[in-house]
Amino acid sequence: MTTRQDALPPPSAASGAAKLVVPCLIGALVALTLGIYGRLHSPTGIAINIAGFSSPGYVKSWLATGATVFAIIQVVSALVMYGKVPRVSAPSWIGGLHRWSGRIAFLLAVPVAVHCLYALGFQNYSTRVMIHSVLGCAFFGAFTVKMLILPKKGLPGWVLPVVGAVVFTVLVLLWFTSAYWFFATFGIKR
Amino acid sequence: MRRNTPLITLLTGAALGVILLIASMLSTPSKTPAGYNAAAPASSAATQPSPASVTATPSSASPSQTAPAVVTAPVKADYAGQVQGGRASIAISIHDGRAIAYVCNGSAIEAWYKGTAANGVLIMTGKNNAHLSAIYDFGKVTGDVFAHGTDYSFAVGVAHKPSGLYQATALVRGATVKAGWIVLSNGTKVGSIESDANSTAPSATQAPDLDVTTGTAQDGDTVLHAVAISGATGSGF
Repeated sequence: MTTRQDALPPPSAASGAAKLVVPCLIGALVALTLGIYGRLHSPTGIAINIAGFSSPGYVKSWLATGATVFAIIQVVSALVMYGKVPRVSAPSWIGGLHRWSGRIAFLLAVPVAVHCLYALGFQNYSTRVMIHSVLGCAFFGAFTVKMLILPKKGLPGWVLPVVGAVVFTVLVLLWFTSAYWFFATFGIKR
Repeated sequence: MRRNTPLITLLTGAALGVILLIASMLSTPSKTPAGYNAAAPASSAATQPSPASVTATPSSASPSQTAPAVVTAPVKADYAGQVQGGRASIAISIHDGRAIAYVCNGSAIEAWYKGTAANGVLIMTGKNNAHLSAIYDFGKVTGDVFAHGTDYSFAVGVAHKPSGLYQATALVRGATVKAGWIVLSNGTKVGSIESDANSTAPSATQAPDLDVTTGTAQDGDTVLHAVAISGATGSGF
């Protein structure tokens, strides 16, 4: 999942791609740590919660939905920054929008993950749950990789878009296997 | 400075995660985290009173949480009642995040479920595409269950012994026989028995009557010994 990028460096960009090795290893370590914790720690069934919602499932579903909305802003602002949206030139604030939407999305996702790992654990009793567990760990690994390689200079041009796309795709799949399923099963309410 | 902002983002997220994790640990009833606190297993095991003495009923445990935690669901609970329309009974037991459920109409429609219960959400699956999803709190469990090709909605309340769920298994002529009974507080008792519980789609018939006081039922020449499945005590989990 997160180590895939370092396995396929184009030979011409070997020195640039080599800079990915350490971030990818750290990212893999993050994902593994979360997964092992979620597997070994016996789920408590309860965790800290936010008042004002009808159940913790709804808190998580809305937080995850918020994170996904900000992640969509991420993709749109990235497309604008890379000049991929026809007839739209990047405004000066687009970088700020991209950075802050990403930070907010990440910080919204953290409480959801803590709740998942502490109260529910890494589970595999159904396909949806297994996919969600794997992707949940992978997301934070992939996000770590993205954050670690952002400041690096001289990377091949494809790296950031690819890593960003992986992070976004995993987050959307996470949302689909949890919040979407939750709303579809129990209804949309607060 | 600018070069480091992604790292600051990461560390902020990690710090937030750690704070929430610690807050969750502090807000969890002390009984639960003692078992997995790997940092001091020996000392905590030595000072911990025996599990039986600290068993708290779900309803009395709820208000004593620390301020930020809103505990809306019990850690241990038993529910039993009739599905909507009254054509079948359902019993659900929850014990430390795990759940066992049984749906039964006293004849061919029945299914056992296993799954996880956390924060008021119950997700369970059984053989032959049986599945159950529900939300639960200290008073009731509400949801949908699919058993033996039939969909039921239910909203049932808390059960206290002797009402609740009973299960018996026995080896009869090389086949595993598995019986389940649901006893309701009004005395209603339904049970079904699977003649080959290990098959992928077990078929069931009406179970022999369960004597709740002795926990036995006579199935032909076999005496079935039933165990109560109880989330409150952990029996059957």
